[in-house]
Amino acid sequence: MMSATEQVEALNRKRPRSAFLRGSGVALLILVAAAWFTGGFSLGDLFSDGSGEHVSRFLREARPFPVQKNDDWSEAGPWAGKLLQERGWTAAINTLAVAIAAIVLAGGGALLLMLPAARTLATPEPYLPSLRPPSPLRRAAWRTIVSLTRGLFIFLRAIPEYILAFLLMATLGGAAWPAVLALGLHNMGILGKLGAEVVENTDPAVPRALRSLGSSRSQIFVTALLPRNLPRFLLFFFYRWETCVREATVLGMLGLATLGYWIQEARAHFWYDEMLFFILLGAGLVLIGDVVSAVCRGIVKAGSVGSAVRTRRSPLAPCLMPLAVLCQCLHRTKAGGRGTGSDCQWHEPTATEQLGGSLALPRIASN
Amino acid sequence: MTRSLRWLGSRRLVLLAIALAGAWAAIYLQLAPADALPGEGGLRLLGKLIAAAFTPAVTYEAPDVPDGAAPFLVTVAKAMWTTLVFAAAAASLSTVLGLFLGFFASTAWWADDPIGGSSAVRRVLRSTVAPIIYSVTRLLIALMRSVHELMWAVLFLAAIGLTPLAAVIAIAIPYTGTLAKVFSEVIDEVPRDAALALRGSGASPVQVYLFALLPRAAPDVIAYALYRFECALRSSAIVGFFGITTLGYYIKQSFENAQYHEVWTYLYGLLILVVVLDAWSGAIRRRLVR
Repeated sequence: MMSATEQVEALNRKRPRSAFLRGSGVALLILVAAAWFTGGFSLGDLFSDGSGEHVSRFLREARPFPVQKNDDWSEAGPWAGKLLQERGWTAAINTLAVAIAAIVLAGGGALLLMLPAARTLATPEPYLPSLRPPSPLRRAAWRTIVSLTRGLFIFLRAIPEYILAFLLMATLGGAAWPAVLALGLHNMGILGKLGAEVVENTDPAVPRALRSLGSSRSQIFVTALLPRNLPRFLLFFFYRWETCVREATVLGMLGLATLGYWIQEARAHFWYDEMLFFILLGAGLVLIGDVVSAVCRGIVKAGSVGSAVRTRRSPLAPCLMPLAVLCQCLHRTKAGGRGTGSDCQWHEPTATEQLGGSLALPRIASN
Repeated sequence: MTRSLRWLGSRRLVLLAIALAGAWAAIYLQLAPADALPGEGGLRLLGKLIAAAFTPAVTYEAPDVPDGAAPFLVTVAKAMWTTLVFAAAAASLSTVLGLFLGFFASTAWWADDPIGGSSAVRRVLRSTVAPIIYSVTRLLIALMRSVHELMWAVLFLAAIGLTPLAAVIAIAIPYTGTLAKVFSEVIDEVPRDAALALRGSGASPVQVYLFALLPRAAPDVIAYALYRFECALRSSAIVGFFGITTLGYYIKQSFENAQYHEVWTYLYGLLILVVVLDAWSGAIRRRLVR
């Protein structure tokens, strides 16, 4: 009979250990330490002799212009209203439109490209054991298609939107397309990769049955894989849209007509009051985008607007109320049974999956 | 009538909204498909750019390189290292701060505490003080996240100049917000078995948080922190556009000098950094989450 201490020690010895994980941990710590010691990050830079003066000057000049002149805060309101009317409003709508156009483009492209990227579909004989082994040539051809598509995803994901837009601006000129394309392509890489993983991890029973009845790959996708995974695709879609709004704001700094354009412009003129105003406007836009996305995700998760509100767990219930009332009016005849969440055949992604929005998310594998 | 409306009731409503929003955006921005193709001059430039992708530079493209300049590939390696250094510094800073703020932004350790209501003081703490701290933290996190790292960089640039530390802090502020939000949500989703056992044997809520909830969430927390490290690589590269000597600085410089082969070398440098880190963190994740 072991004593309690011995039992604990035995348990401790039995705990799973991985040399790779330990090595990785040590390597990461060394990397971080090296970064902080060699990067030349000194607090002295932040608090040098002149910096106090700089900061106070910045804070003085960041106050609205009329306030700077005659210290009257009552004029700040009209000043902001005028700024909003002249430039802010249009720029904000532009930002929003760029984000929407980009994510729709990304979603559509990803929907098409996830087919050749999913290893379960892009094989000589998907979902069925083949009677004759497929010729090595065909197998190699399919494998090449998969690696090319995945390689494209990796490339698009690795190059930041800002740099893509910078390169595209020179070739396409200053209209909205460079921003839309840059955001759309980058997010297509992310959504395509995520979508391909979801497709690969779908329960193969239905696709297999369809295949054995002679369905083509695209028929399987449209009739089985897409409807089954649509809620999940939509969740990823909205999460990426949130980041699109953030990034669309910033892309303007390259000279496109979103909020960033006016931020850059104000900075160039040292009009820090306007700069701060547009930055805050952008922050407001991002927050609104977050709420809209959360509401849409709530509807997708619950299966219908009505049940999104009935799910009391949702902290967004109040936001959904107007929509719900509308829908209740529209379908008064609908009584129970449908749309109460029972038709959701998917599990809620963890926060990691939702916000990570990318990259070999662990929980999908156990789908 | 009602039947057709009922058809709209579920996710189709969302899909329809997306389609309408997309159509509105395309019309509003006047996105004619023909304009997505570059014009005459743009086409020539695009051709050059694409051709350069297959022949990235290995030496300087400019004919007159100043004496004593480091070989091109050394410059590339240095830029990659600087990008990595800024990303590692920003990611580590935001992970530490994110864990700290994540504690206040989670509800698991006070809202579900079974013994929390045992005395008047505790009841007040739980019913008023804790929710207030929680809400304030959530608001703070949302504000940190809603301003893009480049916007923080611009603000720092205007207020004190963009020193290396200021650039790291600029990246770390929105990252801290995101990490704190995700950490708190991951921790709130964790099974409560260990937490209840510890609480039942006399541990304080804070001890429960540190020794039951946090370890239970550790695999997801680490996985997400690594993912943000990868994002930090991209952010760190972009900060180069504001004068920090990461990859973005050189990409901008080479592109403006029409040295497209050099641009691609730097782009491939960024690609290598991201792909290697992605593969590494993927291997770590697979071993953490079984």
